[in-house]
Amino acid sequence: MIVLDEAAYRYPGAAAWALGPISLEVRPGEVVGVRGANESGKSTLCLVASGLAPAAIGGELRGRVLVDGRPTSDLRPHELARSCGLLFDNPAVQLTGLHRTVYDEVAFGPCNLGLPEAEVRERTRTALDVLAIGHLADRHPQRLSGGESQLVALAGLLALGPGYLALDEPTSRLDAERSDLVARAIERVARIGVGVLVAEHDEALLARLCARVVGL
Amino acid sequence: MVVSALAALRAGRLRRVALAALALAPVALSSIVINSLLPAGGGGLGGALAALLRLLGATLPATVLFATTEVDDLLNELEARGLGRRSTLVVGTALAAVPRTQARAVEVIEAQRARGLDTEGAWWRRLRGLLPLVAPLVIGSLAEVEDRALALEARAFGAPGRRTLLRRLPDSRVQWALRWALAAVAVIGLAGRVAVAVR
Repeated sequence: MIVLDEAAYRYPGAAAWALGPISLEVRPGEVVGVRGANESGKSTLCLVASGLAPAAIGGELRGRVLVDGRPTSDLRPHELARSCGLLFDNPAVQLTGLHRTVYDEVAFGPCNLGLPEAEVRERTRTALDVLAIGHLADRHPQRLSGGESQLVALAGLLALGPGYLALDEPTSRLDAERSDLVARAIERVARIGVGVLVAEHDEALLARLCARVVGL
Repeated sequence: MVVSALAALRAGRLRRVALAALALAPVALSSIVINSLLPAGGGGLGGALAALLRLLGATLPATVLFATTEVDDLLNELEARGLGRRSTLVVGTALAAVPRTQARAVEVIEAQRARGLDTEGAWWRRLRGLLPLVAPLVIGSLAEVEDRALALEARAFGAPGRRTLLRRLPDSRVQWALRWALAAVAVIGLAGRVAVAVR
């Protein structure tokens, strides 16, 4: 379970607190929504829940953030990536741009962990299958639609085998049809037991996906 | 140059390499003008040809490399031969920067056009249209660097140890022998030039 207990965060060099204090929990297989106006701290909450703030970007965290009982402050970024994946709103940023096939792009994370080749291939195939994008495996990542790119970025995180995902406005750049693709993917991810925190503007999407919605 | 041309021919990319070599045409032309017409040049057509051949000799191998090798294959091989993952990423990012910047520039131009900026027509209009392009392009690229670094951390790029490599290029004994033979020829040629210069 991800637990935020009176968590507050401010970015390095900033005087003002960008988030909190806030308390919430995300259980395995549960989808929890976060709504809020622009600049209300949704993206910061995703960074904090994934542990990358402050582990990767510095800044000051108050309160506690636990992933399966371990404080995120005790984990290094690559360990955090295996615990809670973070999806950005812009898949162009999340994809490396260095691979010629979607398969290689999704395999990038497991390869980074130095896993045996057979395990890398199994994780990659499973991630593609869970999101029903196996047919994209041989496509070039730069020649995908926005929705497809977002699914590939999500598959790249899933291949790391995290128990939780923090999704920062995953459909903000997509039209209704592509948003539906991503929503169905999130439902599939939750069905395999991954806990999901979704920060979104789209109230209809939150109502469709989330057991609980937290306001910022 | 001969080896580069043969390699391009073998890979079926001779036409592409020849087209890329055409980019040197303005340089060749100016070299002919300088060497033939201007007193400061003084090399004549022979000098112009020698300068052009030197330029082709310096640029063709790199042109052939990128015309025949996918970037991810190149990065995999660099990493397999001992280059660290961060250094490999720097090389890859530098190679990917050109198409990425082009794509971003197109986005910015379209956004500027949508706001009524005139970026077509006479050359001075196009030049004037470049100025509002620069700031969003540079600032956007810098902001993206931070996001990309964070995205890499989110994909365990900082994990210790060696990465798993899924793809290795075939490397036959003949290729291996040819590579070393060419390196030896290059060293011998260089040594010969130095010896001649010293004498």
